[in-house]
Amino acid sequence: MKQVRQLLAIIMLSVASIILLSACGTNQESSGGKDITINILQGKVENNTQFKQIAAQYEKSHPHIKVVITSVGGGTDYLSTLKTRMSAGDEPTIFSVAGPAEVSQFRTKITDVSDTKAAKLALPGTLDAVKEGNKVLGLPFNLEGYGFVYNKKIFREAGIDAAKLTTYDKLLAAVKTLNAQKKQLGLKGVFSLPGQETWVMTNHLGNVFIAPDFNGNVKTAYTSKKLPFTREKEYKRMLDLENDYSAGNVMQTDYSQQVSQYFGLGQVAMIQQGDWIYQTVAQIDKKFAADGIGMIPIPVDGYAGKMPVGVPNYWAVNSTRPKKEQQAAKYFLDWLYTTAQGKKDVVDLLHFVPAYKGFSGMKMQDPLSEAVFQHTQTKQTTGWVFAGYPVSWEADNLGPDVQKYLSKVMSWNDLVTDAKQAWANLQSTK
Amino acid sequence: MSKRVKKWLLGILGLVLGLLWLFPFYLILTNSMKTPKGIFSSVIGLPVNGTFSNYTQAWAALDFIRSLFNSLTITIVSVVLICLASSMAAYAIQRNHSKVSNVILMLFVAAMLIPFQSVMIPLTTIFGKAQMLNIPGLIFMYLGFGASLSIFLYQGAIAGIPEALDEAATLEGAGHGRIFFTIILPMLNPMTVTVAILNIVWIWNDYLLPSLVLPQSGYTIPLQTFFFFGQFTKQWNLALAGLMLGILPVIIFYFFAQRWIIKGVTDGSVK
Amino acid sequence: MLKTKSKAYWLFLAPALIGLLLVVIVPMLLGLFYSFTDWNGLFFTKSVGFSNYVAAFRDSGFLNAFWFTVKYAIVVIISVNVIGLGLAMLVTQRMKGANALRTIFFMPNLIGGLILGFIWQFIFVRVFAAIGTALHISALTGWLSNPQTGFWGLVILTIWQMSGYIMLIYIAYLEGIPQEILEAAEIDGTTPWQRFRYITFPMVAPAFTVSLFLTLSNSFKIYDQNLSLTNGGPYLSTQMLSMNIVRTAFTNNKLAYGEAKAIIFFLVVAAISLLQVYFSRKREAHLS
Repeated sequence: MKQVRQLLAIIMLSVASIILLSACGTNQESSGGKDITINILQGKVENNTQFKQIAAQYEKSHPHIKVVITSVGGGTDYLSTLKTRMSAGDEPTIFSVAGPAEVSQFRTKITDVSDTKAAKLALPGTLDAVKEGNKVLGLPFNLEGYGFVYNKKIFREAGIDAAKLTTYDKLLAAVKTLNAQKKQLGLKGVFSLPGQETWVMTNHLGNVFIAPDFNGNVKTAYTSKKLPFTREKEYKRMLDLENDYSAGNVMQTDYSQQVSQYFGLGQVAMIQQGDWIYQTVAQIDKKFAADGIGMIPIPVDGYAGKMPVGVPNYWAVNSTRPKKEQQAAKYFLDWLYTTAQGKKDVVDLLHFVPAYKGFSGMKMQDPLSEAVFQHTQTKQTTGWVFAGYPVSWEADNLGPDVQKYLSKVMSWNDLVTDAKQAWANLQSTK
Repeated sequence: MSKRVKKWLLGILGLVLGLLWLFPFYLILTNSMKTPKGIFSSVIGLPVNGTFSNYTQAWAALDFIRSLFNSLTITIVSVVLICLASSMAAYAIQRNHSKVSNVILMLFVAAMLIPFQSVMIPLTTIFGKAQMLNIPGLIFMYLGFGASLSIFLYQGAIAGIPEALDEAATLEGAGHGRIFFTIILPMLNPMTVTVAILNIVWIWNDYLLPSLVLPQSGYTIPLQTFFFFGQFTKQWNLALAGLMLGILPVIIFYFFAQRWIIKGVTDGSVK
Repeated sequence: MLKTKSKAYWLFLAPALIGLLLVVIVPMLLGLFYSFTDWNGLFFTKSVGFSNYVAAFRDSGFLNAFWFTVKYAIVVIISVNVIGLGLAMLVTQRMKGANALRTIFFMPNLIGGLILGFIWQFIFVRVFAAIGTALHISALTGWLSNPQTGFWGLVILTIWQMSGYIMLIYIAYLEGIPQEILEAAEIDGTTPWQRFRYITFPMVAPAFTVSLFLTLSNSFKIYDQNLSLTNGGPYLSTQMLSMNIVRTAFTNNKLAYGEAKAIIFFLVVAAISLLQVYFSRKREAHLS
C-alpha cells in the first residue's frame, strides 16, 4: 500500500506541475494589454542581459509595444534553434543572421529594410553582405575587429613600439627580441596560439590572407566558384610564426587558456584576438584590461596599418509576420541605432563599436573597441570574407586541415590542394 | 597467505579504488570554489580563499530554477505516462492469447533494435510540421521510445499474476478498467518501481533528443549546461560550479532512493 | 481474458501503440524512403537511387567515424567487462565497507553523459597537465590534443561511467552462487584461479550475454560524451558515428544523406545485436 501512495503522490505532483506549467503558458500569451509584441531571436549570448535591459527600457517609453529577447549561443546551435522555431510556427519578428549563407538559407523569411533610417546611415561597405539589388536584407549589429592584442608593459620593457610593427619583417624582429628576453620579462612564450579553436586560425587569420583574393568583399567570396589562394605562402609564414613562438602545447590550448591564462596573467606578450576579449581579460584583471592592453593589425603585404573590421551579425526582419509587427520592428531598430538614447545604449551598455554614422565624438568603453573605432573613423580597414566561405568548408576541410598541419600529420601543400578542391566542389553543388 | 592478511589487502584495494572513483568528484567540488587565478596556480589543492560566488553566478546563468522545473516536469510526466501506457498495453497483450497480441509484442520488441539516431531526422521534421517541437511533443516522443522496454518488463510481471484473479473479479461484475486499476496495477508495484527508475535515469540525463526538440524556454538541465559552457567559453571555475549544480539533484535522488535505484537498474537489465 | 475484438483491448493498447507508431515506426519507414531521395527536410524533387548510400561509403569522414567507433567499442567492451567483473568480485567479499563501495562505484552511472564529458575534459586538460608538469611526466600533458589521447580519454570516461553498472549485473549472478560450494572447494585445496575458472566463471556466464549486449549497444550509440569531451576534435579524428550523422543532417543541412548514413547505422547495430543474442544463447545452452 505504501508504494501505491507514493505513486499517487508522484502523479498528483506531476498533475500539479502540468497545471502550473499551462498557467505560465497562458500568462505569457495574454501580454497584459500590449498591442504589438516584437519577438527577437539573436545569437550573441554574451549580450543577453544588456539586450533585455534595453528591451525593458523601450517598453517603458513605448507602452503599446512588448519586446521579448531570446538569446541562443554558438553558431550552429543558434541556427538549429532558428530553424526549429521557423518550422514550428513559433517565428520571431526579428532574428540575427551572420552572413550571405544564412541570408540565402532564410531568404523567403526576410523582408527589405532599405526604407529604414538605420539602413541609410549604415557605414559604407557594411551592407555588402546583405544587399540584393536595391534591397537591403539586414541591418548590422555592430563592428568588430581583430589583430594582435598586446601587453603594453611587456612591449615597453622590451623597447618595442607596437605602432611600428606594420610589416612581417618588423614583426619578426620584434618577436625575436621578445623571445631573447623571455626570462627577464617572465614570459612562457611570445604568442599563445589556441590550436583547439580552428576559427582563430581559419576564419580570422585565414581571412586576412584570403580576403585580398576577393577584394575584401564577402559577396564576391560567397559567389566565387574557385579559391585562388594566392597568398597561401604568406598565410603559412604567419601561422608558423605564431606556432613556433607559442607558449605551451598549441594543440591543447583553447580560447580560455589563450585569453585568461597566458595573456590575462601576463605569460605571453601578445595573442591574435579581437575586441570581444575585453570582458574576459577584465574578469582576470580589471586594471590590466583597462590600461595595460592595446591592439595592432596583423601585418599583410600591401595592407600595412589596416585592420580587418567586419559585421559579425545582422538583424533581419521576418517578412511573414503581420505588416504592423514588421513596421514596429523596423521602428525599434531605428530607435536603437539613430536616437540619442538608443545610441547611448549601443555604446555604453552593449560596448558595441557602431556600424552607423552619427556616432563621431562618442567615446568607446574599452581600449580594444577604441582601436577598432579609430581604424573605422580613419578608414584604415579591410573586409571580412569568412562569412562567405562555402557552408561546411571551414568545419570539414580548412579547420581540421590546419589542425592536422599543426600536429604535423599533413603537409602545407596538401592543405592548400584540399582547400581549393573542397571549395570548388562545395560551390559547384550549391 | 593467511586469511587476515588477505582481508587487509582486499580492504586496501577497495579503499584505493573507492578513492580513485571519487577523485573526479573531489576535483570538481574543490575547483568550483576557486577563483580563476586559483585554478591556474593549483588544481589539486584545496581552495585557498574559498568562494561561493561561482555558485551564485552559475545559478543565475543556468537559470537553475527554471531548468530544474523543466527537467522535473518532463521527467515526471513522461515516466508516469510511460508506466501507465505500458502496463495497460502489457496487460492487454498478456491477457489476450491471440496471434494479434504476439505480433504486437514482437513489434515492440523489434523496435528496441532501432537506434534513436536512425529515426531522429524524419521524427523532428514530422513533429516540426505538426508544430509539436515543444515540451508536450517531447513527452509524447519519450512515450514512444520508452514503451518497448517497459512493456517487455511489465509483460513478464503480469504473466506471474494468476488469471483466476481477473476471472473472480469479472464474476463479481467488475469491468476491465476496474480490474486493471484496482487489482492488477497495485500488484505490479515492484515492477512499476523498476520501470520508473530506468526511465527516470534515461530521461533526466538525455541530451540529444531534447536538443533537437525543445525551444529555449523549455531547456532542461543538460541542455542548459551545454549552452552555459558555450556561453562562458570554459571559465572553469564557473563551469565547474555549474556542473556541480547539474549533478546535485541526481546525487540527492541517489542518496534517498539508492536501494530502489540499484534494484531497478539490476532488474531492468537482467530480466 | 481480453478479446481481440473488444473495445477494451484496443483502448488498453492504444496509448503505447500510437506512441510507438508515430515516434518510431512511421519515422523509420519515412526515413528509409527519404534516404533514396534528395529530400531537404521540406520537400524532395526526385529519387536518387542508392547514390546517398554510395556517397556514404566514399565519405572519408563517415568511414573514419565508423572505424573509430568500432575500435572504441572493442576496447570498451573488454575493459568495462573485466573491470566490472573485478569490482563485482571485490564488493561481494565479506568485508567492511563493501556496501559503501558498491554505492560509490555505481554513482557515476547516474550522471548524464554530457556533464560527465565536461567533468573529464577538465580532468584531462587541466589536472593531467598540472600533474604532468609538476612531476615532469610528458605523457600526461597534451591530453585530448591528439587522436590517441582523445581515444583513451573517451575510453577512461566510459570505464568510470559504465563499470559500476556492469558490476551490478555481475553481482546479481555472483550472489546466486552458493557460498558453500566455494568453501567446500577451498577445503578441497583448490587454488583461487581454479575456483574462478571452474565455479565462478560458468555461474556468471549468463551475465556475459547481458553485459556484452549492453556495452556493445551503448558504445555504438554514444553521442553526449563524445560531444562534451572532444567534440570530435582534433581534426574530426575522434568523431563517432552518431556525431557524424547529427552533423551531416543538422549542421550541414543534408538531411537525406544523413538519413542514409542513419539507415546504415541501424543495419549495423541491429545485425550485431541479433548475432550476439544468437551466439550467446547457443553458448549458454551448450554450457548448461
